[in-house]
Amino acid sequence: MSGKRVLRSLLHELREAASNPDAIKNSLAARYILAQYKKFETTDQQLCKARNEAVFLGQTYLSYLSSQRKYNAIYKEYHSRGERSVKETADLVGFKLPTDPK
Amino acid sequence: MLRGIRLLRFSNINKCQTSALAAVRHYASQPKRFYKQTNVLCTDTGYEVTLDHRKLKTPKGTLFTVKSEPLAIAVATEFDNQKEHIERSRMHISALCFTALDNPNNLTKLDMVNYLLNFMPTDTVLFQSEDETALQELQLNEWDPLINWFNKRFDTNLQKTMSITPPQVTDDDKIKIAKHFQSFSLDTLHGYIFAVDTLKSIVLACAVIEQQISVEKAVALSRLEEEYQLKFWGRVEWSHDLSQQDLQARLAASVLFVHFNCSEYLVQEKLIL
Repeated sequence: MSGKRVLRSLLHELREAASNPDAIKNSLAARYILAQYKKFETTDQQLCKARNEAVFLGQTYLSYLSSQRKYNAIYKEYHSRGERSVKETADLVGFKLPTDPK
Repeated sequence: MLRGIRLLRFSNINKCQTSALAAVRHYASQPKRFYKQTNVLCTDTGYEVTLDHRKLKTPKGTLFTVKSEPLAIAVATEFDNQKEHIERSRMHISALCFTALDNPNNLTKLDMVNYLLNFMPTDTVLFQSEDETALQELQLNEWDPLINWFNKRFDTNLQKTMSITPPQVTDDDKIKIAKHFQSFSLDTLHGYIFAVDTLKSIVLACAVIEQQISVEKAVALSRLEEEYQLKFWGRVEWSHDLSQQDLQARLAASVLFVHFNCSEYLVQEKLIL
């Protein structure tokens, strides 16, 4: 993934994760990431380290945020929901009830 | 009379308890989000996190201070992202910082290096199967390049095993790997152990921390056989996907933790005349 796409996805995930999505512009993480992008604008090899270090860290944080979000979504869907109704079970496996229109 | 009241009360309590037990299962309630804003403070000793006007403390009660700014920002963001309750079990970056600061098991560097070394002979990628040719081929293509990379990187000679007998790790190899891990600080080693425990493999953990593979790839490789079997037996979202996402989040947290802890931001900018 290129640097630009990582940035866009990171901001998207930060917005998804935030408790108040409107205030994302003032959030520390978003400001820090943007500042880092400014700093490494010409090249991310300014640090004499392995190549693409900055992008790698960005991708890692991105996968942290997105995995967390997906985990929460699955957890919310399935954890301690009690027994499902016949309709819900049918939807889950893609069946229709006899009462549903064909 | 008094006894009668007491009995009455007792039976009342009993009734309450049984009905409550039958109705719902009680989990320990999570603390409510008691703050509005989080922020990061820069002090002489490092970076601190504030929740409104309070300073964040570790579970043991010491003040939360880290050396790296991005790490403090990640922790502050994590606290800021909590909705109504603080779900501590899913805040992996904060949890790692707390563990490193408190060191609840009083581990020394030697303990941790020994723990990692003892993991070597049971490394996931060293146990390959020869029962199924398709799986064997998959492991050969996916795992072997990383074993080779590891051997080259650390100048070791790890050999995979095809049977139940664990692979032999020579003392020479152990010394080389121990030397590498000894060079890290205690905090960084906490991150390494968390990554190794997540992946069940030192080879994969080193590969992802040294940027050879991405986090998703590392988790996929550590679950290689599971993924292979899934093709035949089907994928269950609330088990397989849940564990995959959990492992990815944990691994990403530990990789970030290691990187932020052992990188010194020495930037030398070019002089523009």
